[in-house]
Amino acid sequence: MRIAVDSSLCEAHGQCGVVDYELFPLDDDGFSAVGPSREVPDGDEATAELGVASCPARALRVLP
Amino acid sequence: MTVDLTAPAASADPYAVFEELRSTDPVHWSEAHRAWLITRYDDVSDAFRNKAFSNDRVRPVLARRREPSAASDVLGLLAGWMVVTDPPDHTRLRRLAAGAFKGQRIAVMGEQITAIVDSHIDGFLAGSGEQDLISEVAYPLPATVIATMLGAPPADRDRFREWSDELALVAFGTGGAARADRHERALRGLREMDTYFHTLVDHRRRDPGDDMLSALMARDGDDLLSDDELVAMCALLLFAGHETTTNSIANATLALLRHPGQLDRLRADPDLIGPAVEELLRFDGPIKVLNRWVVAETEVRGKRISPGERVHLVLASANRDPERFDDPDTLDLGRNPNPHIAFGKGIHACIGAQLARMETRIAVARIVERMPSLQLAEEPVWKDVLASRAMDRLVVRHL
Ligand code: HEM
Ligand code: SF4
Repeated sequence: MRIAVDSSLCEAHGQCGVVDYELFPLDDDGFSAVGPSREVPDGDEATAELGVASCPARALRVLP
Repeated sequence: MTVDLTAPAASADPYAVFEELRSTDPVHWSEAHRAWLITRYDDVSDAFRNKAFSNDRVRPVLARRREPSAASDVLGLLAGWMVVTDPPDHTRLRRLAAGAFKGQRIAVMGEQITAIVDSHIDGFLAGSGEQDLISEVAYPLPATVIATMLGAPPADRDRFREWSDELALVAFGTGGAARADRHERALRGLREMDTYFHTLVDHRRRDPGDDMLSALMARDGDDLLSDDELVAMCALLLFAGHETTTNSIANATLALLRHPGQLDRLRADPDLIGPAVEELLRFDGPIKVLNRWVVAETEVRGKRISPGERVHLVLASANRDPERFDDPDTLDLGRNPNPHIAFGKGIHACIGAQLARMETRIAVARIVERMPSLQLAEEPVWKDVLASRAMDRLVVRHL
């Protein structure tokens, strides 16, 4: 599984980082540093879904 | 014009005041608060990452005290809270705490929280006539959840509530000589709390469990929280997670009772609870205002703001800004997207947000389900306080 952030939509709500700061790293200002394609380690898929769903700006998605 | 958000009329209906401020003076110097009130969504959002605004506001006070006293002991504890530090101290504490709040850790607590919620509602339903939903359910609930999470024995849970009140009293400062006595008692209570948490930390160091306190002991590289830091963290979780969650549940319930159409909608579609709670947090969330100290010259919407001044970020106003939300004064449980900032934004964004959401969702869902005839029995009175949006009582009837 891979996840991505659309940086033009990310507003630094930080909610993804609250779910899991390793899967959803944030930069120094609290913006998502997930980038255009980030690998989710095996076993962390459910957490990744939770983090993606927690973004109030809908900036995150699971890549097809 | 100078606006006083703690005047009774402004406490009863802050949203009318906020609307006026947003349209006429969105960066308002309030003589009453001796602070800038920032009320528009975009300005509040920008403020969260403006380096001129600092969270480090306890240590400067502490540094000014010449003689050590009981108060400086307790202030020393508060000064170590991540919520009143800036990077790099904040970055370190936040990283060390983050593991304990991971989504999966919180997600598995659903059953336990449901059981705690149900036992409080059982107590409430055992009573009859007009009762206060805050003192019976919304107030005790979050303290029990935090005590349980930290692995404290059930018998000690009542003391968590007292400590939480005492922390609030000390953290939000005193006011006048009449309260000096209460303040003194609060400090004594908090010294007891300090001892209690130290004992709890000792136990967990020797005998770790799957509780949150044990999780807070995890290493980040070769760094870890010291005993004193763990004690401060326990106190912070109690302080940050109690009153906020109480008011979140109470305000949400009130909003639903005032909007029967939306309440029916939720009853008909219980799966709506996720977005419903986000909307209830936006509509009338527990925090009105967050505080920042100004540490460098800066400008917001043409107003010059100088070091030594304070700014108040008015979350409750930002969440009703029509520039950001369509029909902001309408409660729409299905609102999506809903980029409210009831949990703040940026590096200090609420670390307990997943837990707070879970508690509020379960509590509101169970109240709605188990009290089908719930009615408001008296007009609630709002507390005249700046930081939180809080009622004294929420007196209701259920048949
Ligand atoms: C609905 C309930 C809650 C609301 C509305 C809320 C809101 C907030 C807000 C707005 C902040 C940012 C403060 C700032 O920027 O200065 C914050 C920070 C914090 N919250 Fe919450 N909170 C809630 C519940 C909780 C719970 C249940 C816990 C933990 C048990 C918690 C723990 C914290 C901590 C530790 C911080 C400091 C984070 C930091 O400085 O990095 N909160 N909260
Ligand atoms: S939750 Fe969404 S908006 Fe917030 S930091 Fe993560 S990606 Fe950005």
